[in-house]
Amino acid sequence: MKKLVLGTSILAMSASLGVSSALAEEDGVELTAWRLFVADHAAPVVHVIDALDGDELAEFDISEPAMILSSGSSGEAVYAVQPTGNVVNVITSGISFHDHGDHADIDVEDPALSEAAFTGEYPVHFVEHDGHFAVFFDQEGVARVFEEHEAIEGHVETREVASGAPHHGVAVPLGQYDLISAPNPDDPGALPIGIKTLDQSGVQVGDLAACPDLHGEATSGDTLVFACATGLLVVKGGGMSAPNIEHLPYSDSLPDGKSTTVIGGRGLQYFLGNFGADKVVLIDPSETDAFRLVELPTRRVHFVVDPIRARYAYIFTEDGELRQLDVISGELTNSIQLTDPYSMDGSWSDPRPRIAVAGDNIVVSDPLAGKLHLVNAEDFTESGEIEVEGVPFNIVAIGGTGISHEGEDHDHEHGDEAHDHDHEDHDHEDDHEHDHEDDHDHDD
Amino acid sequence: MKAFIHAVTFCSVITLNTGPALSQEDRLQVVASFSIIGDLAAQVGGDLIDLKVLVGPNGDTHVYEPKPSDARALAQAEVVLTNGLQFEGFLDRLVEASGTTASVTVLSDGARIVQDPAGGHYHFVDGEAIFHAEPNDPHPWHSVANAKIYVENIAKAFCAADADDCAHYQANATAYQNELTALDLEVSEAISAIPEKDRVVVVAHNAFRYFEDAYGLRFLAPVGVSTESEASAADVAGLIREMRDQKASAVFAENISDSRLVEQIASEAGHPLGGVLYSDALSGPDGPAATYVEMMRTNVRTITTAIAAHH
Repeated sequence: MKKLVLGTSILAMSASLGVSSALAEEDGVELTAWRLFVADHAAPVVHVIDALDGDELAEFDISEPAMILSSGSSGEAVYAVQPTGNVVNVITSGISFHDHGDHADIDVEDPALSEAAFTGEYPVHFVEHDGHFAVFFDQEGVARVFEEHEAIEGHVETREVASGAPHHGVAVPLGQYDLISAPNPDDPGALPIGIKTLDQSGVQVGDLAACPDLHGEATSGDTLVFACATGLLVVKGGGMSAPNIEHLPYSDSLPDGKSTTVIGGRGLQYFLGNFGADKVVLIDPSETDAFRLVELPTRRVHFVVDPIRARYAYIFTEDGELRQLDVISGELTNSIQLTDPYSMDGSWSDPRPRIAVAGDNIVVSDPLAGKLHLVNAEDFTESGEIEVEGVPFNIVAIGGTGISHEGEDHDHEHGDEAHDHDHEDHDHEDDHEHDHEDDHDHDD
Repeated sequence: MKAFIHAVTFCSVITLNTGPALSQEDRLQVVASFSIIGDLAAQVGGDLIDLKVLVGPNGDTHVYEPKPSDARALAQAEVVLTNGLQFEGFLDRLVEASGTTASVTVLSDGARIVQDPAGGHYHFVDGEAIFHAEPNDPHPWHSVANAKIYVENIAKAFCAADADDCAHYQANATAYQNELTALDLEVSEAISAIPEKDRVVVVAHNAFRYFEDAYGLRFLAPVGVSTESEASAADVAGLIREMRDQKASAVFAENISDSRLVEQIASEAGHPLGGVLYSDALSGPDGPAATYVEMMRTNVRTITTAIAAHH
């Protein structure tokens, strides 16, 4: 791997690594670290790249190409989901934060491939809620639930949640309850028909929440949604008591269509979903008119929310442009040409660009050109490129700024938070997404 | 605001609390972060303001997630009223996202602020303890004297943004502060009437330190000042021991929190639940705490009734 160009914003970010930018905080110094975890589309490998200088920090061999790359709220681990390899590998990011209210401490260590791995037949949907993770294994119809700290430590005890039959499903652990998709009884190969709430002994609580053609799930703040053919299931509560699930139908103002991929806003509570090939929809379930349609100039390839600049989300379109969406006004406010066209004709699984946000930069993979494009999020200009061998595809960005005590032995009394990270398939503890354009597409 | 509106309403400045009837767009555009200061703002602004409250009745501001519509409201606001003291954890990012140019007024400025008793926490680096200060207690409004300072700050903010109607705002503020002075005395007398040995109660999260400081009723709580933290089993066991040691008189739920924890505590300590206190939010308009004054009176009534029933 080799740096081609690093623009001024990257150089500025690099400067913050040094003690010269130290922020006085007891005996610590301010430190910024960002890492890019990049899965190859064709080869079973995950590259770890320092986003600040473009250097490759590590390369991890896995079983099969990671069709989904994801991370949890802590940012301490990256999960390489390999459906055809029947495994989910765990890579520790080497970056961890410890919240102290008015600031966060940062620890930076080497990334590593954990001994922990989750095996089962055809894992796809990967969901975190409040530090509890659920991997759904489609060909078993079973989800395995685990806690991240165990995965990082390399010894994992999983709890199984059964849906009743193999299908393309999803499960979400919600405190003392689990939400799990209900397979179509007439055709297990079809999309699920709704969501069941199970207690921890696996007994269903309440009625099935109908959600025909369920596909796509996201959380923003205290609200979880599932996308259905008819609208969204909006889930609130959960924990000690069973969650409240309500159906929010698509508004009459929308054209025919449905969302099959949704992501949750960060900093602002909203959802962004696909809606047909060349549209997205902004969703605020608390509003009377919950849906705002945004038409795109061409078909959509990928979209993410900005976890740092809450006002913006980004959409890559098949004409090779990255577009900035102002989620407050609901308008496309900026765009930049980054790559040659990536037509959405052909297979859903063809290598096409993916987006992640790493601090001041938006990172876009360019699989066929073998590089990552860096776009300054403030002025929306290209700030650099990083060459990556192979076919760089899914990206997870992890990092942020904290106070470093330079590797000294820490003993913290509080949990972690107060940092930013962004990743391909979901964002943060209360904002995870599943972008199924990574593995399949039910949109068209 | 349009100048001609003020000219025709001059004569009503001294005598009317609410001011003239204005169309929505002619009113001062005000955003209040949560329901309690929303009511204070309404008392001062009356019909002269168009008020949007971000965290509504029974809402928990500690954990509120702002919506894009909140950002739009901030973008249109001329005055933004906040509590400060890190109570509105969402506010900085909302202000940034909205791009608002409105002045953001921190109403707790000048109030008598109570520090968290722990004052912060330690973490340990290379064998050395490093202290990190925690924020001050962010619930000053439970002292009515502090609420009067909030009102004063609101009037100043409105005057700064709408000088033409300043006299209205000041007149409203003065009248309301007089009402609050009477309320302060009323609360003080009601708590003073409780025998001193009975003045220990339990609530879900410690939002009442200012009430304790102002009126002499001691509150025990299983969790810290933010509802974001969850009580551990050890916290609960310790609390129940403390309740017994201090002969706590009553256990209360809060309108913004799940009541099961305090129900468990009440049950284990042998108390019936004493009712619901309004801590960080008003009730809905049909509830018993639809305004700040009603909230304080309802809380006092709930407290005194539960303690009396205990004996």
